[in-house]
Order: sequence, then structure tokens, then C-alpha cells
Amino acid sequence: MDSKQREALAERVLALSTADQTEVTIGTESADLTRFTHEEIHQNVARADTGVSVRAILGLRTGTAATNMLDDESLQATVERAIAIAQLAPEDPELAPLPSGGPTKAPAGAYVKATADASPQLRADMADAIFKVAEADKFWCAGYARTQSAGFTIANSNGARASFDGTDSGINVKMNAPDSTGYGQAYSPDATTLNARSVAETAAGKAKNSAKPQGVEPGEWTVIMEPAAFGEFFTYLAQHFSAQAVDEGSSFLSDGLDKQYFGEHLTVRDDYADPLAPSMPFDFEGQPKKRLTLIEAGVAKTFVTDSYWAKKLNRENTGHALPAPNAYGPQAIDLVVAPGTKSVEQLISETKRGLLISRFWYIRTVDQKKAIVTGMTRDGTFLIENGKVAGGVRNMRFNQSIIAALGKCEFSNAPQRTGDYWFSVVVPAAKIEGFTFSSGTQF
Amino acid sequence: MSFDDLAARALDTASKRGAEYADLRFEVVRAERIETRNGIVATLSDATSRGYGMRALVGGAWGFAASSDLTPAGIDATAARAVEIAKAGAAIARHRFGAAPPRAYVDTFATPIVRDPAEIPLGDRVALLLSAEKALHVSPKISVGRAWIDLWRTDKTFYSTLGSRIEQSIAQTGSGLEALAVGEGEVQSRTFPGDIGLYKSGGWEIIEEAQLAQNAQRIGEEAQSLLTAEQCPSGTRDIILGGSQVSLQIHESCGHPAELDRVMGWEANFSGVSFLEIAQLDKLRYGSDIVTIRIDNTLPQGMATVGYDDEGTKSGTSDIIRNGMLVGYEMSNDTARTIGRESNACVRAQSWEFVPMIRMCNLNLLPGNVPFDGLFEDVKDGIYMESNRSWSIDDHRLNFQFGCEIAWEVKNGKRGKLLKNPTYAGMTPKFWNSCDAIADEKSWVAWGTPNCGKGEPMQTGRTAQCASPARFRNVEVGVGYGG
Repeated sequence: MDSKQREALAERVLALSTADQTEVTIGTESADLTRFTHEEIHQNVARADTGVSVRAILGLRTGTAATNMLDDESLQATVERAIAIAQLAPEDPELAPLPSGGPTKAPAGAYVKATADASPQLRADMADAIFKVAEADKFWCAGYARTQSAGFTIANSNGARASFDGTDSGINVKMNAPDSTGYGQAYSPDATTLNARSVAETAAGKAKNSAKPQGVEPGEWTVIMEPAAFGEFFTYLAQHFSAQAVDEGSSFLSDGLDKQYFGEHLTVRDDYADPLAPSMPFDFEGQPKKRLTLIEAGVAKTFVTDSYWAKKLNRENTGHALPAPNAYGPQAIDLVVAPGTKSVEQLISETKRGLLISRFWYIRTVDQKKAIVTGMTRDGTFLIENGKVAGGVRNMRFNQSIIAALGKCEFSNAPQRTGDYWFSVVVPAAKIEGFTFSSGTQF
Repeated sequence: MSFDDLAARALDTASKRGAEYADLRFEVVRAERIETRNGIVATLSDATSRGYGMRALVGGAWGFAASSDLTPAGIDATAARAVEIAKAGAAIARHRFGAAPPRAYVDTFATPIVRDPAEIPLGDRVALLLSAEKALHVSPKISVGRAWIDLWRTDKTFYSTLGSRIEQSIAQTGSGLEALAVGEGEVQSRTFPGDIGLYKSGGWEIIEEAQLAQNAQRIGEEAQSLLTAEQCPSGTRDIILGGSQVSLQIHESCGHPAELDRVMGWEANFSGVSFLEIAQLDKLRYGSDIVTIRIDNTLPQGMATVGYDDEGTKSGTSDIIRNGMLVGYEMSNDTARTIGRESNACVRAQSWEFVPMIRMCNLNLLPGNVPFDGLFEDVKDGIYMESNRSWSIDDHRLNFQFGCEIAWEVKNGKRGKLLKNPTYAGMTPKFWNSCDAIADEKSWVAWGTPNCGKGEPMQTGRTAQCASPARFRNVEVGVGYGG
């Protein structure tokens, strides 16, 4: 279903509603993924769906209902169900009117037809190229190649109208050697730009170079995190920039804006138009997204809102609503960390003793307000001695406040898109002093 | 055209296009959620999704395609796509591992329900949550109170070219509470029941069993008290874990590593591998003699209880850990065949859109013979922890660190002062071998986990790890806060 068809469907559903205010969203997705292990495809899937969601508002009462059945009878029933739910809902005295929207423009490169049209053979060819790299090194590999397209249209009774189409693709490879592993990844809206062999060679190189890993003592280390590792921290930091978290007291920003929370090297934006990760220029209420500087030279400047939290806190609506209803409040989902001036090689050469980290695993919050997280290194962790990579080390567990870590950091000059699924982030590699490891493993 | 006819058409199309075997799941999924937050209804939603997912086997390679298009043309296109995908995989296959299931069934299954949630007016459901949530607010320090109900209903029919036709109606229900307390530089939360809520298969009786209103004030008071509680000490202690935390421990350190697809490297790039290697089967001492962990996908009220899994295999029981020894895995048809066994029906898909894969189902630590209070006896210097707050484990499932919401000091067999930010860490086999007491069946609960993530594309699974509280000796505590 293309944007014109979605827009026509949205208008048709909107016309069915008798509520005081109505919001209709139409989401389409076509997602294909080829997953492999031991040089064999074990999962090769495709799915396609179109969903319709209706938010009905009667005075200060709200109800939502959703369906993927697009016949007239089902659509009418969904609208009526949303209204019936709203009639039974208690009033919310702080309910905001639906936004009236505004002009938006999709960022360049967000939709690539070749990705939307990609065949199973394209993904099989990518997998085959990766298999050949593994076989040449007598490793085994696991990973995926995926292509997908998605469209989203919103229309509400207050005049908001917006549509967006985007594509995405990705390759993810773990190479497995007898006593070491290595990781590579690449993501792009344009599947034809992905180089499967190159990603596989990166992963194989890490597996080779981390062979016969040695154990090192836990404690405080200077670390250099490659983008795939560093980016994961922002999955956990992003929620602190939600107006809801700030208001309820669980965000570090609850202690106030315009304070120096981080080192002066850190500048973080929320920018849907970054060329490495172009995404939807409006939020899930149809409000145009603001391109915000959240952290500037270590100073917290602002947080994100949606219509509800903008009204409640008497702030501007920054256009960061998630699909209604949700328990998370507005979220910054297009984070971009400003790069530094040095190459990764220079950061390594300036490090007397430290660790180079390719990837983390299973990061979880230990203390929400202090942003203390724990997690493990994986798939390529290296010792740095006297400015050179000196071999692989066994994986370790860290316990670290992200806020404290970002107080003593500098960044490389080459940002990459990392992250996957619903959250992606654009980050450089980061060098951090005094990063705390609490225990190790035997692998 | 009925869906039986459409399914027959799809299977016929796949066969004609070259599939050696094909199956199809048709599902109608309904999800209702109510969530109240600080006196208002933050979520009141009702979503219905209908569609089908189809597997086709060509030359030992699987293809899967899913669609919500129920027209004959849509059915044909989806069947053709599943076969096309399978052929693309077969063209580069180094090995041939896929095969059709060994047998077919024609049967029906429905979750036993005592009280249909549809009988409860929506207004009454909302009122229950608003009342319980209000009781959390014992002081202005409770910044956020939340209460929620989830009602899920899945009606699905499985068809295969072997002749299976399995019709199932599955009802799953859950509810919970959370209080967030904010003090000077401190944020503490308490959740009830457990750390997610109480989730089981069944109807409104599961909501009634949770007793939200009866416990809300206590939960609010505990959240507030944690703001001024002492920090959990660091060091080595005997610990007693509440039942929901034992459930989480089973989930992360037994349930996931015992997935045979993970053992075989199918999850290696994402959620990792497993230390429970096939060479260790029937040889590895995983835990102490009193530790027996059993799959039971027929368990009444088990979150993952079904008649048949999503490959059409009949539910049953089998052991993963028996008297401390590794004796089995969670298996699918293809993975079981590689170790000379048959599937134990542990295959699930999140919904019609997703390919079926091995999932933890009902995985239960059998109860011991000690009353709950008996766990505290013989503990000179220990800590009792309840309700998970943080969980992390390495990609081999060995090195773990978990945190709980609340703890109490245990001195000379008695529960003492309140402790905040409790954490504990260890290595999986050493930890389970330190288990020297498990509470009896009186405190055994079918704790459901409605949000287990696995696979790519990521699927959310609904699992259960039934457990009672248990005691572990000489465990590292207070990790992450430095004393």
C-alpha cells in the first residue's frame, strides 16, 4: 500500500468517526530477513501487514482501538470500539488537544526503491559471500541479512496530515574461531550499498586478532569503544530525555537543565535528518519533529515532549510522541553524538594501557537515576599496550554510571550508524577514562 | 471461502511449486490493555490482528512468509513467496537439515477459563485499577503509581500437508502494580506481584488471584521506606531469593541456555550461545541434588500451556535438569533430530507474522520440602531479596548479575532491617550447586514472563518459570554499588 492509498484509507476511516476529536494512523510494513549459522540459512522469512489505529476523544476521555482487517465492516467496528472505550474512560483533566500538524519534508535518502524491491536472492547472495569468508579462514559464522520497507500515515480531525515512507537494510556477522570471536555490522536505507564481504572480513579480522585471549584484572581501565559498543549506552540514556521521566523524577535531568553533567567534548543532538540515519520527520501524533541539541559541550539544554507533556509542563511540543497509547511518554529516538577530531588509530596510539571494545551484550540498568548500568563485553575485546593493540582479552563484566563515563571522554572523527530494530543512533568511537569492570569470564 | 478452504489452497499451491512439506498457521489475536497512572487512565486499548504464516520446505531449506491478505490471490502469492524464499536458501545450502515433522494430528484445545473477562464490564476493570493505584500513594514521595491489566486471546488453526488440523483457543491474563518513590537524590520502585505482575493462562480469575487492591498500600509503603533504607552490603553472604526472583534466575540461567537452537549456534550473533553443550548432556552437574527443572507445557494456568506447539507437536513434560544433572533441552523437530531425540513441543511464534522457533515454555523448578520460614533457619548472616530490578548475563549464560527491588538482612535465622539496591552475582553452575533448600509447594507459584525477547526479527515470547523461594550459600552480593 503506497502513501496515496494510505492517505485515502485514513480519510475514509476518519469520516466514520463521530467523536469530538479523532486520530487515524495507518502503518504498513514489509520485512524480510535471512538468518544463518554454521554457513547454513536456518531462518528465511518475509512478512507483510497493514494496521489501522483509531484514537477517539470525547471531551476529556480517550479510547483507542486497532485492527489489520481493512474491510468496511471491520473498520467501522474499530472506530465504534474506540468511541465505546472513550465513553467508559474516566476524564483526564490534563488531556491535550490533538496537534494540528504542519508541513514536513522527508530527509533525503530515507526511501530507496531497490531496498523495497529486494529479493530473497539478494540476501542469499550476501549470505553466500559471508560464508565464503568464514570458510576461507576455517571459522564458522552466524548473522543475518535483512531488507525492509515501511510506510506511516496519520490524519486527525484537527487538520494534521502526514505521510512517510522509509526503507532499511542491515548485515550483522559474528565470526567464530576456536577460542575467539569477532563482530561486524552495516546498516543503510540502501541495501545495494551494503558490502557483505567487507563486513565479514571485519568480523573475521577481529576473531583472528583476538585469538588465544588472556585474562586481565577487573578494575578501572581506559577503554576505547567502537561505535557498535558505544552506541548501546544511548539506548539507556535516551529515556532520561523524556519529559515524563524528568517530571516523575527518574531522569538525571530532574535535577535541572543548564548544568554541566558531562565532559565538554560531549554534544548530543536528536536529528531525524542526519544523513547516516534519515527517518520520519514527524512524530506519531503528526507533529513536525524539532531537530534538538540535547547536550551541548556537556551541558544539558533540553528534553523532548509530545502534546500531552508539552501542555502539562507548559513547554513547546517538540514532536517526539510514540504511538498512542503508551506508558513511556515522549522519546528521543534519533540521537546523534558529535564526532571529535582524532582517528580511532590516533586514540589507540595515545593510550598507554587500555582496552579496545568491539561490542557489548545484555546491558541493563542497575540504578535508574544515576544511570548505572551493567553488561558484558563480547566478540572482540583487545588489550592496548603502549599505543598498540597487543592481542585479545577474555570478556569482562562492567558496572558503570553512563553519566560518570561521559564526564571523561573524547571521540573519534568518524561517526557510524549503529543500533538496530526500533532504535538506531549515530555515534563515533569513544575513549573513556576510569571505566569500571567488576568481574571476568573464561572466554 | 472458509479459511479451511484457503489453507487447502495455500498448501496445494506450495506443493505444486515444489515444497516437499508445508504448514500454515491462521491466527486471530486480540489484545486489550488498561493502564492507570497517577489517577488517570493512561492506556485503554483494544487491538485485533488477523493473518497467517506459512512454512515451506524445499531441499532441506525452510522458507517462511506471512501476510494478512486473505484473498485467494493473496494466499497464492504468500505460498509462492514461502517457496521462493526456501529455494533461495536451498541454492546456497552447505548441509540439509530441515525435514517434515514425524506425525500429524487432528485435534482441538482451549485454555480452561473459570471466569470469562468479557463478563467484567470495562468500567469495573478500570475502577479496580484506579482504586488499587490510588492506594499506592501513601505519601507525596510516591511520584508515580501505576496499575495495569492485560487480556490476550489467540484463536489459531494449524494445517499441514501431512494432514494436521489443530484448532486452539488460548487465553492469557495478567495484572500488576508499581510505585515509584523519589527522595533526595534517590529513586526506588516496588512492583507487585513479582517484578512484572502476575501473568498466567486463564481468565479473570488470574486478576482476582493477584489481589492488587489488598497489597497496594504495603507496596507503596515499601517503596517509600526504601528511600531511607541502608545500602545492601558488599561481600559474600548466604541469600534467600523470593519466588519471582528464582523464576527469573531459572529463566536466564537455565531456560535460555537449554534452548537447543542456541546450543547449536542459531542465536550466536545476537542472544549468544550456551555453556550447556551437547557433549555435556547426561554428564554435566548443573546444580545440587535438590535441583530438578522440568518442562511441563500441560500445567494448569501455565503461561505457555497449549495443546500443541507451532510445529504441530503435542505438549507434554520432560526434564532439563534432574537431581542436578543436565538431561535434556528445549527442542524443535529439526534440532531434536540432530541429537537423536524427538521434539518436546517447545516451538512458538509470537503471532502469525513470525516464524516458529524454540522458546522457553513452562519451565519449572520442582518445589522442595522446606516451609518458607524454614529457609531462614540456619542462616547466621544473610540477605533475603525479592522482586527483580536488573538482570544481565553473558552470551554463554555463565557470568550473571541480578538486582532486586528490596531486601532484608537475615541474622541468626531472623529477618532484620530493610536494605536498598540489593544485587548478587555469580557463575551459573556454581550458583545452582550452592542451592541447599527450596521452599515447598505452598509457596510455589506459576510465575509468567510475558516479555521474553529472542530471535531476529525479535520475537516476544510468553513463558512461565514456576518456582518457590530458595536458599543459596556463599554468594557475592552488593556488586555494582561498591559497598
